[in-house]
Amino acid sequence: MIGYILTTEQYDQVQGQFINPYQFINCVQDINDVWFFFGNDQDKEAFKDTEFMWLFDLPQGEYIPKPSSRFPI
Amino acid sequence: MILASHGLIASQIASFDADALAFFARVTAAGGTLSATEKAATNQLVLDLKANSLWTPMKAIYPMVGASAAACAQNLKSSSFTGTFTSGWTFASTGVTPNGVSAYMDTGFAPSSNLTSNNASIGYYGGTSGTSTRCALGAAGGGSYFEIYPAYPALGLFGDIFDGSTSNTTNLSADGFIFAYRNSSSTQKKHSIRNTITTKTESTGAGTISSNVVLGARNNNGVLQDYSNLQHRFDFIGDGLTDTQASNFYTAVQAFQVSLSRSV
Repeated sequence: MIGYILTTEQYDQVQGQFINPYQFINCVQDINDVWFFFGNDQDKEAFKDTEFMWLFDLPQGEYIPKPSSRFPI
Repeated sequence: MILASHGLIASQIASFDADALAFFARVTAAGGTLSATEKAATNQLVLDLKANSLWTPMKAIYPMVGASAAACAQNLKSSSFTGTFTSGWTFASTGVTPNGVSAYMDTGFAPSSNLTSNNASIGYYGGTSGTSTRCALGAAGGGSYFEIYPAYPALGLFGDIFDGSTSNTTNLSADGFIFAYRNSSSTQKKHSIRNTITTKTESTGAGTISSNVVLGARNNNGVLQDYSNLQHRFDFIGDGLTDTQASNFYTAVQAFQVSLSRSV
């Protein structure tokens, strides 16, 4: 899956920030602990006129997730 | 004039249940909109839940109507536990779908403050067929689990109600109405998979959980895990149910989905 790549500083700036009362930003780390942001076309629309629109201009890269946490019980 | 601007006419208000009307008002106030079909289906759902003694046990109900974050975040049961979505969801009239890597919805519902370990239920109506290693909704912490893994490959449903051990029920597909419940039992829980109820012998674990229940992943004591890409068409958290209530619950929610032309 392709996502937008963030520096740690950029992650600190955006993580958990609300773009409206019902939506906030969540970034995740890949297998190499690189921070990724994922936004689809609906997100792009929701981010319009917010201070975080620049997230969609970040360089993109292939996201490889960390292994699944554990077997569920 | 004001009513018309909110898509309601006087005759509809007269025919809608007061709790359904309150939900519609919350959606509108949030900036969302509902179609006449969605309003009628939601109103009938409320009536069916009340007629079958299912309204009172419910703590949070997310009907996933309105095809927007503002609408789908609203709790049908009350103005409490309004959800907040992360980026990465797709909203449609058929349901809401997380991206499987970073998207979840925080319900704001902490089981430890709102449930007791032997008297609880949790579940969802899925729109994605097939198996998945991922969590549809839930929370974990302190060796206790309150979660739905609807169709784990080769193993099936893991529906945990504050369990401290493992048991599953065979299930090959994550779609349809799937939930788990206890009813004043510390040793038995039930799984309902598309209205087939199975009794599981499993003790409650370390009590309830302080982390909020999330949709689209599992909140393990503040760490988000097992993000899923399973479509949600209805989610709920509640007190325990009897088997009769569970069966009636299936009937009501299935009828709701049929009314919306998105049943499985």
